[in-house]
Amino acid sequence: MTSTVDPISLPQRTASNDTEIDREALARLLIEIARNVDPDYRARFDGIPAADPRMETLRQLLVSREISELSRVTHLLDEPQQLAAAVGDVLPIAAARAPHAQLGEALAPAVERAVQRSIQTSPRTLTDILYPVFLPAIRKSIGEKIDQTFQSLNETLRHIFTWHGLKWRFEAWRTGASFSEVVLKHSLVYRIEHIFLINRNSGLLIAHVTADNANSEDPQLISSMLSAIQDFVKDSFNEKEQSSLDTIRFGDLRLWSEVGPFATLVSVIRGNPPEELHEIVRDVLLRIHEGSSEALAEFDGDSSQLTGVEAQLRTCVELKQEESHQGFPWLVVVAALLLLGLAGGGFFLSWQSGQRWQAYVSRWQAYVSRLEAQPGIIVAEQQVRDGQFYIAGLRDPLAADPQSLLSGTEVDPAQVHSQWQFYQSLEPEFVLKRLKGSLAPPDSVRLSIDNDRIVAEGEAPDTWIDRARAAARLLSAGGPEFDISKVRDVSPDVLEAERWQAYVSRLEAQPGIIVAQQKIHDGQFYIAGLRDPLSADPQSLLPGTQVNPVRVHSKWQFYQSLEPEFVLKRLTASLYPPDTVRLSIVNDRIVAEGEAPDIWIDRARAAARQLSAGGPEFDFSKVRDVSPEARAAEHWQSYVSRLEAQPGIIVAQQSARGGHFYISGLRDPLAADPQALLSGTGVDPARVHSQWQFYQSLDPKFVVKRLTASLTPPKSVRLSIIQGRIVVVGEAPATWVNRAQTAAEQLSADGVVLDVSQLHELDLAELNHLREAIQTTDIFFSSGKVVPGPEQTPALDRLAEQIKEFAQNARKSGVTARFMLTGHSDTTGRETANASISAARAETVRALLNKRGVAPELLLVRGAGTFEPAVPENSQAGSSTNRRVSVTVNLD
Amino acid sequence: MLQKKICMLGGFSVGKTSLVRRFVKSIFSETYLTTVGVKIDKKSVALPDKTVDLILWDLAGEDDIGSFRVSHVRGATGLVLVVDGTRAATLTAALTLRERVEAEFGAMPFVLLFNKSDLADQWVIPDSEINELRKFGWQIYLTSALSGEHVDDAFLQLASMVTK
Repeated sequence: MTSTVDPISLPQRTASNDTEIDREALARLLIEIARNVDPDYRARFDGIPAADPRMETLRQLLVSREISELSRVTHLLDEPQQLAAAVGDVLPIAAARAPHAQLGEALAPAVERAVQRSIQTSPRTLTDILYPVFLPAIRKSIGEKIDQTFQSLNETLRHIFTWHGLKWRFEAWRTGASFSEVVLKHSLVYRIEHIFLINRNSGLLIAHVTADNANSEDPQLISSMLSAIQDFVKDSFNEKEQSSLDTIRFGDLRLWSEVGPFATLVSVIRGNPPEELHEIVRDVLLRIHEGSSEALAEFDGDSSQLTGVEAQLRTCVELKQEESHQGFPWLVVVAALLLLGLAGGGFFLSWQSGQRWQAYVSRWQAYVSRLEAQPGIIVAEQQVRDGQFYIAGLRDPLAADPQSLLSGTEVDPAQVHSQWQFYQSLEPEFVLKRLKGSLAPPDSVRLSIDNDRIVAEGEAPDTWIDRARAAARLLSAGGPEFDISKVRDVSPDVLEAERWQAYVSRLEAQPGIIVAQQKIHDGQFYIAGLRDPLSADPQSLLPGTQVNPVRVHSKWQFYQSLEPEFVLKRLTASLYPPDTVRLSIVNDRIVAEGEAPDIWIDRARAAARQLSAGGPEFDFSKVRDVSPEARAAEHWQSYVSRLEAQPGIIVAQQSARGGHFYISGLRDPLAADPQALLSGTGVDPARVHSQWQFYQSLDPKFVVKRLTASLTPPKSVRLSIIQGRIVVVGEAPATWVNRAQTAAEQLSADGVVLDVSQLHELDLAELNHLREAIQTTDIFFSSGKVVPGPEQTPALDRLAEQIKEFAQNARKSGVTARFMLTGHSDTTGRETANASISAARAETVRALLNKRGVAPELLLVRGAGTFEPAVPENSQAGSSTNRRVSVTVNLD
Repeated sequence: MLQKKICMLGGFSVGKTSLVRRFVKSIFSETYLTTVGVKIDKKSVALPDKTVDLILWDLAGEDDIGSFRVSHVRGATGLVLVVDGTRAATLTAALTLRERVEAEFGAMPFVLLFNKSDLADQWVIPDSEINELRKFGWQIYLTSALSGEHVDDAFLQLASMVTK
């Protein structure tokens, strides 16, 4: 609009500054509006007044409110006091709404600077703030340290000179623990006063057990409060979830807490518990978790499910170590402090200034104890003075070097002033060392300490033994006893004589050797006696005895020893017993067992006779004569016994003559073949001569066999023998039942019972209607044709099915069905042609039925020609009815 | 012994501590609240068939929800929300605390106590607002630590709720 119509030129801008309203633009706009409203105005107006009070009025009307608001805000921003007040109003809310992480990041540097500043200007303020937190911690830490120092000091002082002290020193030596450890272990006095089992999740008390005479406030409240404190510590110090506050200590009381998966076990202990107690308590917690993990996991405030837990807690509460009756330790502390004060003025000050000196002195004490424990060292005097250590005493030259024992103790050797006098310790181990040095015992002698006595054992030549004896005499004045009685004199002569005797004893123990005489003369050995040639060679026994063979002179006479084992050896050599004979010694008798031919037995008998004069008995009665004839006879007898045991065979006579065997008797044809039974008996068939008469055995088994063969019972019939009677059970066609009855009558004459009372006629009623259907079926033919027309196919199909079904059912009943196909013809034509056509028709039907799955052996075929007409032959219909094949059913 | 952990929540100086002081067994002094931030008390409540020990965790009143130690509520089965009837803001504080707890541990039974009912002239919570809250099915009691009015009723109610 303004671009097209702009007649007004505005020579000057009235706006004094940018913030004020653009008066010119406003004026233009108003004029423009006026022109549009009144076109005449356009002509009359040609300028804008330089200052128009109406404009100002308009401006006031339009924006007066905004102007005043703006001036207020501007004022607020310009006045620092007012701005601070306004921001202060919203700062907490703004801080609360700000994302915590960002706010924290933004504030952290400022806060750090502020804290730094505060400490620089006035450390007191922050100290005051932190005082309640730090002081108890520092106090506790210092207190614990002082406690420890006092404890060890107390205990050490208390126990150095007492009977317990000695006992514990011994225990420390025995177990390898330090003396102070042992002292602490025995001096710890504690008692578990309460055990709380607390649900980890809710802080609720599961179970609580109190020691006798121990009191506490409401355990339920304590339980929860303990959990709350755990949470508090965890939250306050950003501890990880899995860790927990495990020890709280308040004066004489300690709270130990063991945390399990579902429950925390807090034990309240009065006194100084040993560290092992942690293990014990942990173990109880573990067992509780094992035993009741489900109930613990599901604990919802109802502790009736966990009543058994209390008994387990009870075991913990019973753990305690009673205070010993040695008096109150603090008195000893006071005494000790006084003593220390007298011993060295500086010590107390240095002890007060720190524990370094204290530790140093205790290391010195440990060194002195170590020296005192050394054999061959006697500490006469030791003291600590002006930071220097003085020690004096006696030492054996063979004892450990006190100086070398210093290394590792961290005691500065420069501060140690020692004075040692040498002496000879009479402690057995030193005497032993010295004896070893002076006597130089041979390798075959061992010196050892046994109950404070020095014992020499082994072998030594007489010269050494003499020297040892002299040494023993010297020692007897005050020193330990030196026992040399166990040293064997092993000078060469003695040794050789001993060895010779050992050889002689060995010979005397040999069977078959008799030593008559032996002696030692001028270093030569002589021996004479008897020996069996089969006994061990005396010469061969020499090696290993250390007797020189050259110096041995033997004279042996041979003799035959009658000792059973020599006799046995000789018999074995002379008789050559076969492999089947075993010779052995039983109660000084020689016994032969097994099988041998008669020749060998004869030789054995001769040998036995020879032996009978003074020698051991030779018993060969257990050797069976197994000469071939005897064996053959045995085999024959076993064969005859076998035959006699056979049913259906009766042996009448048998004999063995000239190596041949003869047998005669009766046998049922159905019985086993005697010839076949020969195999495997070892009897030569060529030498057997048999004569058998056949007979019919009336043994039921044979009767059954015969009946089965002659009657051929159907499958539905079972023949069995019950108490000697033959019983026929089952169903059979009427014809078979008749035959069975006939057989029963015949057998009864021979005294055999054939019981047919349980044999029933086969019930074929259900087959009858099928049979009827088959027998009323005819297959018809056209005149002169031997193949039925296609219209007969349904009848053939049906007939085939019926025949198959009938045959199958009959078979199930144990009878065989057969079907007779009879071909017929009409009377037209010649008789011979009709006969052959009728037979051909039956054959065709057989083939067609066979094709339909009927087994051919069930189908019989015959041609009846014109002889069996179905209807009289007098009409066309009649002849067509007669051209047929009919079926009859037979059951076997 | 059947126990349930109950947490008492409410803004600063709503009177939780004085509310229970006369009605529960307590062995810990109130300084615990300022030191550990929690004080444990016990209220035994006899229900018709059993007695329940309510272990009350009195959490230090915090108007600043950010510093509220939600870990103290772990394992609790019920809440006592306390509101100062003379300061409307404490209702919001109590409800916010409850939301915070539910977000962490899921919903749990609670009773809502409007305390200081004896200061009728300074009462600022209109009955209509309380009735609105009752429509949620909430168990609400107007209590007075001074007179003991309805305090036992409230604990009895909560005890039966947490043992269901």
